[in-house]
Amino acid sequence: MRPTRLTLPTAMVLMAVSRNYRYGFDISDATGLPSGTVYPVLRRLEEAGLLRSRWEAVETARSEQRPPRRYYTVTGSGTQAVRDAMDRYPTLERAFDQPARSPEPRTA
Amino acid sequence: MREPPTVPARSSPPGSVIVGACATVVPSDRRAEWQAEWVGELAYAWSVRQRGHDTPVSARIALWLRALGALPDAIWFRRHHGGDSMLSQDLRYALRTLVRWPGFSAVVILTLALGIGANAAIFSIVNAVLLRPLPYASPERLAFVFGTPTDGDSAKVGRTSSYPDFADIRARSRAFSQLAAFSVRQTTVTGKQFEPGIVSGAPVTANLFPMLGVSPLLGRSFAAEEDRPGAPPVVIVSNEFWQQRLGTNPNVIGSSISLNGTPATIVGVMPPRFTFPGATAVWYPAGEPNNPQTRGQHSFTILGRLAPAVTLETAGREVAGIAKQLEAENPADNAKRGARVQSMTEAIVGGVRPQLFVLLGSVVLVLLIVCVNVANLFLARAAARTREVAVRTALGAGRRRLARQFLTESFVVTAIGSVLGLFVAYWGSRLLVSKAPTSIPRASEIGIDGNVLLFLVGLAVVTAVIFGVLPALQMSREMPIASLREGGRGMRGGLARRGLRQALVVSEVALAVVLVVGASLLVKSFWKMERVDPGFVPDRMLVVQIQLPQSRYGGYADGDRVRAFYADLYRQVASRPEVQSVAVAMQHPLAPGWTSSFTIDGREPPPHGQEPESSIRPVMPGYFRAVGAKLLRGREIQESDGVGQPGVVVINEAFARLHFPNEDPIGRRILRGSWWKGMPSSYEIVGVVADERFNGPRAPADPATYFSLAQFTFNDNWLLVRTKSDAKAFVPTLRRIVWSMDRDLPLENVQTMNELLGESVADSRFNTTLLSLFAVVALLLAAIGIYGVLAYTVAQRTSEIGIRMALGAQRSSVLRLVVGNGLTLAVIGVAIGAAVAVVAARSLERLVFGVSTTDPGVFAFVALVLTAVAATAAALPALRASRVDPIEALRSE
Repeated sequence: MRPTRLTLPTAMVLMAVSRNYRYGFDISDATGLPSGTVYPVLRRLEEAGLLRSRWEAVETARSEQRPPRRYYTVTGSGTQAVRDAMDRYPTLERAFDQPARSPEPRTA
Repeated sequence: MREPPTVPARSSPPGSVIVGACATVVPSDRRAEWQAEWVGELAYAWSVRQRGHDTPVSARIALWLRALGALPDAIWFRRHHGGDSMLSQDLRYALRTLVRWPGFSAVVILTLALGIGANAAIFSIVNAVLLRPLPYASPERLAFVFGTPTDGDSAKVGRTSSYPDFADIRARSRAFSQLAAFSVRQTTVTGKQFEPGIVSGAPVTANLFPMLGVSPLLGRSFAAEEDRPGAPPVVIVSNEFWQQRLGTNPNVIGSSISLNGTPATIVGVMPPRFTFPGATAVWYPAGEPNNPQTRGQHSFTILGRLAPAVTLETAGREVAGIAKQLEAENPADNAKRGARVQSMTEAIVGGVRPQLFVLLGSVVLVLLIVCVNVANLFLARAAARTREVAVRTALGAGRRRLARQFLTESFVVTAIGSVLGLFVAYWGSRLLVSKAPTSIPRASEIGIDGNVLLFLVGLAVVTAVIFGVLPALQMSREMPIASLREGGRGMRGGLARRGLRQALVVSEVALAVVLVVGASLLVKSFWKMERVDPGFVPDRMLVVQIQLPQSRYGGYADGDRVRAFYADLYRQVASRPEVQSVAVAMQHPLAPGWTSSFTIDGREPPPHGQEPESSIRPVMPGYFRAVGAKLLRGREIQESDGVGQPGVVVINEAFARLHFPNEDPIGRRILRGSWWKGMPSSYEIVGVVADERFNGPRAPADPATYFSLAQFTFNDNWLLVRTKSDAKAFVPTLRRIVWSMDRDLPLENVQTMNELLGESVADSRFNTTLLSLFAVVALLLAAIGIYGVLAYTVAQRTSEIGIRMALGAQRSSVLRLVVGNGLTLAVIGVAIGAAVAVVAARSLERLVFGVSTTDPGVFAFVALVLTAVAATAAALPALRASRVDPIEALRSE
């Protein structure tokens, strides 16, 4: 686990994942950050152990005739980082004024 | 959890290509997983968007933009997991190399810019004309219903139909959800706001615009009740007409202009660039009565929209069946008259497809030559960099690493070249549009769009790979340590490289041969076409059509005022001192005109509906002398062949050949129905005239009948004036004369006969000019290629040549050695190229005239030209070699 700097985009991505925006493009939509920013942040957060990634269930993808997607969830230490992010950027929470998404069924 | 689970996708979503390209940057151990994540997201987003109401194009673009994010992500991966950030290192190194060799870089970048730009410019035409759908609603469902001869004799049955046939097909067809009809007529427009003019007018059925899915910019389309006989006249004008003649007046709706002397209310203005059919300026309701007597008048074109789920084949079978019924019901008018269906797109652009593909093929060849040349230049520079490579290898750079470095350099060069190429493409396509012949449909739609940009990017990538891979492969195969040891001279590597470069030059020469053969065939065919005897003398001749409106001059049945007008006009123009001769005729010598049927007196008449046809060309006395057509036998049309006199006709050679192959036609009579009172129904053949090529220089003339205009009077005729000096200088005088007789006659388009002749060969000239341009570029590049290789060889062999000379070799034998080296390459290239050209030239079959695509003269000429070019290119290095000072050469050893 490497320490990670809590820049604004990092905080935004972390917040989005904690609000159950779990897929790369969804996070990009929710934060308004371009995909080219979101993905490197996701990679850094995962390396830092704040996020964990899984592949979506094969059956779900197969039923929709598409390849599976990869999703991200917040780890235990990530939850702490989310709190830090909220302390550091108090206005951030308002950016997500819509209620948190209901978590999708966990399958892997 | 590293390996992604696999599910076969239906098809790869938009943007996966971009992701695939970026994936090469990701370290190979993580690549599959990385790519699966991106493709997974793209596929999901695509499936969501396909469900939604997003239009496919915008959805595609959105996904492409998203996919671009894969590049920073991939670079991030490389930087954090790939050890060092080699890509950016490579990039920086490539840029430094570019700056270090400015001359080399400039030549390479400019050649690439020209090659890529020219390709994109030609592609922009192909894209607009052939690839982009027609600008109508669901254009793939639109199809023409054309008349077609059931016995294959197309002279008798054209593509157009009569209005009663159209009405019957519309009533009986189930395969079309809608059927519309239109015609095209030269229409005289007059109004308070503008000079009188002749424009292209189209009588249309009211449903044409809604069926195409086009609505007027201002006002409305025609209402169904306006499309009935006797309805108050209304008109819709084109955007261009509105801007040029009506001053872009926004309150124009409801005002009135005159069409052929009849006032009509303007109810609509069409959007910009809509001019269907052809270059129509005014549309008005056909308002045709479904009159059975007009079943023989085939002036309408039928266009329909296929009913849902109906294929072209089904519709074709249906209309053929309906045509059969109509033939049975109307044996006189519809004999041998079938019907067929052709998709609108195919009908409009199908004709130019071979021409455009030839152009695209040639410009691709030019690009290939560019690639070969640039590869050659890179190889030459690689020779100069042998030491540098050796040092880098010695310091631990692997072969793959070096190869990648060279590829990066080629990509950087191509990227810069492509950006410049974009400008070339932009200006090139504008130039092409301004020079394109009118026979290229949809020319107004040509421009640089997303498709062209994608093509350009694709081209750039392919180009960079082609010319980048070769030197890279070569480089990684060499033995750098050996070259270090050899003191940087790199003899062994040099030899292998020379072989490769020679192979490149051979292929370059071969490609050039293909292009030059193509261009030479077109030039020869154009030269032949220009020299076809048109059957008349076009020099210093003005051509203008005069249309006398029936509202003021009376119709055909009452021709007195019309005859008086033309007689007076003839007198006035002929009396001018600057005029040599004058002719008045219903068709000018380059107008195919129209045909009508006849029978020959004293012969068994063929069954009704199967009579022979001939071109109807009434002329005033003096016509043949004035246009310079040769009278072969008998006499011309004379003043005495007037109204009430016995009917006479002069036929052309084609007519005599077909109908009187072994007889003297003079004195025989042709019979035809009298169309109005006072018109003879029997005509004695009094003369035979040499064929005027009225179908254009490429096609032989059809049988033609020249009647006396006094006995066969039409309101609209051509005035042909041959002047003593410059024809154009006479135009103001001509206008003054005509307008002194009638101020309301339009006289806009006064052309010279040579201009008309030029138009008839305009598309040949366009193809020929472009292909010749490509051929010259190809020759130039091939010459540079040969020069480059020989110059390099001479430099490499300086010491060898020095030794030879020290041992007594003559300068002339050194010259022969080097020139012979160049010629050997050229001869091999010419042989290969000629073999390829024999096959490739077949694509020109439909474009050439009077020349076989395997014309031995052309092939011999091209072989000669290329050998001469090769010899010239070899001369300079050969001279340099012959001036080698043996002492100097040996000392440097």
